[in-house]
Amino acid sequence: MTAAHGGGRLVVDGLEKQYELDGGAVPVVKGVSFTIEPGTFTSLLGPSGCGKTTTLRCVAGLETSNGGRITLDDQVLSTGTEHLPPDKRDVGMVFQNYAIWPHMTVFANAVFPLQVSGGKLPKKEARARAMEALELVQLDAYAHRPATALSGGQQQRLALARALAHRPRLLLLDEPLSNLDAKLRDTMRNELRSLQQRLGITALYVTHDQSEALSMSDRVAVMNQGRIVQEASPRELYYQPADRFVADFVGRVNMIPAVVRERSGAGEVLVEAFGTRLATPCPDGVALGDDVTVTYRPESVRWHETAPDRPNVLPARVVRVEFLGEIVEVEVEVLAGATVVGTLVARGAPLDSPASGSSIFVELDPNACRVLAG
Amino acid sequence: MTVTTVIAGSVIFLLLAIPLAVQVITAFRGPFLPFGVSSAKWSVDNFVTLWELREDFWAVLGSTAVFVGGSTIISLLMAFGLAWVTVRTDAPFRRVISVLVIVPFIVPPIVKAQAYLLMLSPESGVLNQVLRLLPGDLVVDPYAFSTMVVIQSLTNVTFPYLMIVPILTSMDGSLEESARVSGASWPQTLRRVTLPMLWPGLLGVTVLTFILGLGSLEVPLLFGQESGKDIFALKLWTLISASAGELPQYGLAAAWGCVFLVITTIAFVIYLRATRDAERRASISGKGFRPTVMKLGGWKPPVLLAVFVFTLLTAILPLFALFWSAITPYPIAFSFEALATQTHFTAFGEVLGDPEFWASLGRTLVIAGGSATIACVAATVLAYGIARGRRTVWTKAVDLFASSSVAIPAVIAGFAMFLTFMVINPVIPLAGTIAALVIAYSYRVSIAYRSGYSATLQIRKELEEAALVSGASPLEGFRKVVVPLLMPTVFAVWIQMFILGTNEFTLPAFLATPESRPLSVYMYAMINPRSAQLYAPDAGAAMALIFTLLVFLIGYGLQWAVSLVAIGRARRRSAIPGLGARPAAAPNDPPAPATRAVAAQELEEQKEFADR
Ligand SMILES: Nc1ncnc2c1ncn2[C@@H]1O[C@H](COP(=O)(O)OP(=O)(O)O)[C@@H](O)[C@H]1O
Ligand SMILES: [Mg+2]
Repeated sequence: MTAAHGGGRLVVDGLEKQYELDGGAVPVVKGVSFTIEPGTFTSLLGPSGCGKTTTLRCVAGLETSNGGRITLDDQVLSTGTEHLPPDKRDVGMVFQNYAIWPHMTVFANAVFPLQVSGGKLPKKEARARAMEALELVQLDAYAHRPATALSGGQQQRLALARALAHRPRLLLLDEPLSNLDAKLRDTMRNELRSLQQRLGITALYVTHDQSEALSMSDRVAVMNQGRIVQEASPRELYYQPADRFVADFVGRVNMIPAVVRERSGAGEVLVEAFGTRLATPCPDGVALGDDVTVTYRPESVRWHETAPDRPNVLPARVVRVEFLGEIVEVEVEVLAGATVVGTLVARGAPLDSPASGSSIFVELDPNACRVLAG
Repeated sequence: MTVTTVIAGSVIFLLLAIPLAVQVITAFRGPFLPFGVSSAKWSVDNFVTLWELREDFWAVLGSTAVFVGGSTIISLLMAFGLAWVTVRTDAPFRRVISVLVIVPFIVPPIVKAQAYLLMLSPESGVLNQVLRLLPGDLVVDPYAFSTMVVIQSLTNVTFPYLMIVPILTSMDGSLEESARVSGASWPQTLRRVTLPMLWPGLLGVTVLTFILGLGSLEVPLLFGQESGKDIFALKLWTLISASAGELPQYGLAAAWGCVFLVITTIAFVIYLRATRDAERRASISGKGFRPTVMKLGGWKPPVLLAVFVFTLLTAILPLFALFWSAITPYPIAFSFEALATQTHFTAFGEVLGDPEFWASLGRTLVIAGGSATIACVAATVLAYGIARGRRTVWTKAVDLFASSSVAIPAVIAGFAMFLTFMVINPVIPLAGTIAALVIAYSYRVSIAYRSGYSATLQIRKELEEAALVSGASPLEGFRKVVVPLLMPTVFAVWIQMFILGTNEFTLPAFLATPESRPLSVYMYAMINPRSAQLYAPDAGAAMALIFTLLVFLIGYGLQWAVSLVAIGRARRRSAIPGLGARPAAAPNDPPAPATRAVAAQELEEQKEFADR
């Protein structure tokens, strides 16, 4: 069964889409390009309204794009002018609100793709395949139930089974977990990912939740205002964000305005920030005197009671300590003498958290930061 | 898909626009018929005549305003009160009450009017008999104008009731609760929060009740002729019924019709605004609430008494009066002595043995069924196309047009259709045929259109898109997803229109001939003293009872059949072989109640699902 799935290679090249509104054409997707290698899991991550769903629907064929090419393996799905209808594309899709057909049973929902012209199979085979798909999501025991008698999580799994039943080359998912409660969301995340890996199917996953995108994907494409701003592995995205938007959108970040002052060795510079000099790596194409932003993830900011003998240690005062369970979040004011020159947020283990109001030292490890131009 | 939408749109256009156009043309082209008559020419003579007879004009306008306006207000107040009691209070027997209140709905209006005539008869009428038992010297004069207004209210009260109940049910109780928590008393809450919130919805109901009242011929025909008050509906009818030796005054009648079309157009605009406001307010409040219940406390006995009097007046006494009339050979007052000596049941046998009864019953079913089918199919197809298509000025116009039949009073529709069939008769000879009646009855197409439209909106677009990505062609998706989801609504509307059709009197009063008349018109002929040979009040009353019973049985029978289909579907589903683990049923378990429950639950859930 696993072998029969397998994935296709999706190439989206320069995709354009605009909607006709009363006031004229409004561009929503503005030249989006990305490639998904067979059997990998790619997320489209971006804030609400940035055009993720529209992109996904263009790939599915539910929207006709206004420009750009979409190909799946050797098959051209759409050019700016010609579009294969959705039923000829051999893709599976999970909708944000599941779109389970309420007038059918669980089984009838799952077997549907195998009964219609796009993937018609002989009765017996169709039944076996649909049951197989239901087994994959552990719904085989519910097959005879009306689809509306399922809980939210079960409906979500049924939507998945239906999308997989005809063994498509590409699985499209539009925020499939956003309607579930937090606990179920975590479970489904793991299930979804392991299912995708087991079947080896190519998956394109749309979400606005960065932790979902980071934890599930092989590659993440971050979208903003109709464009892809960075496409990278989850780790690279988190630690090497391409710009301030990505840095801010993918997890929490401290952004420290700074000016490049001195070269201090191979690929290192000293920047002026917080009224003092900090050692940071040197980004490409940055000259002395340029304005930059030094970004630190909160967990990369470490605190000490006494100053260690290392570079980039600053005196600070604790203004807020927030206990979050597995970690503690500490907000500090960075001091230069008695004046406050900035604030930082740090995260660490709760056990050795400082008390609010106490004076401490924060260490900004040069290897843990990313310097962005501008 | 577009082609079928256009065809459906054209059918509806023909149904509504042509008759109204013919009527307007007839008003400006006369003197007799606008076409096919050599003397016909364009002129405003009809309006000049209307003006010359302006005393008559103002009198008709005045009495129509009082009659329709008064009865609208009375029936609205009654309907609101009853709806409030059944939905928003802790009155005992609410279920029973809500069933009793809709009993009059299944009684055809012509039967109701006839029953009131019997029950109000000064000598033999049961109501006046009851009143004589009470102290004081109360006698209701059946032909007093005020009586007519009340009777019209009682005849039409179920319609606003059925529309107000959902409005009250869907009201967000938390809005009232927050007023109460803010320190407002119940009356203050009602005045400051509840009524303002419900106001647009109630205004819409008012307008529709008004148009319904304006259009119905039954009460004016049975009471108005004796009371001496000329009501618009009756006026139109008398103008086209040629009195001896004179030509019927079609042109003048058409001019009358135009005047009243202007009035109902204004009412329709009010209605459109009201429904738009109502929808806007509905979208503000959330969902998944339940209306708060008002505690009646010491008010329980008076409320129950009021409900009892209502039931007495709308169901018990009228049905009793009919029954008494059916078993007595001529009008006599009820007494036990008369019961023992004068009664007989031969009238029922006479009716059942009358071939014309069966013939007109058959015609009724054909006409009601045919028109409901035409209206439902055309309206649903068009509604789907409009609701799914891009919104443009054109689709908005079509939408408005297809919704507009609610603004056409039945008398005007009947009259306009009558004229149309006369005009086209040389080319398409339909006048007086059953086909003409089928077409005329279909004019109520907006009922089906509105339901189809909102049902389509409730089917989320993703359900269709999911079919497409699953590999279904657009046609397969439509057949397998959209049609089954629309079907329950279409069936429900079909049944509703079918019952309306069986009850219909106004339209056939204008259109039917003795060869094509449905049961309602045949029955009227039997109770109308003017129709010499046919006049037989006891057989007429017996027929009214049988007619009512039939409408009841057919209506409920159809609903029952529909639920059987749902159950059958559920059964077939649970019989899909080889579907994993299923609790094994004992072999001789009676499967019916369980599957019935499944089907019921399924329908419930389907509704819930669609609501989301
Ligand atoms: N059918 C449509 N007509 C007009 N505008 C649309 C339509 N669908 C989406 N939009 C607009 O396109 C933009 C992108 O929408 P979408 O792709 O759904 O965003 P996302 O999924 O990233 O939240 C939004 O501003 C939205 O308002
Ligand atoms: Mg979206």
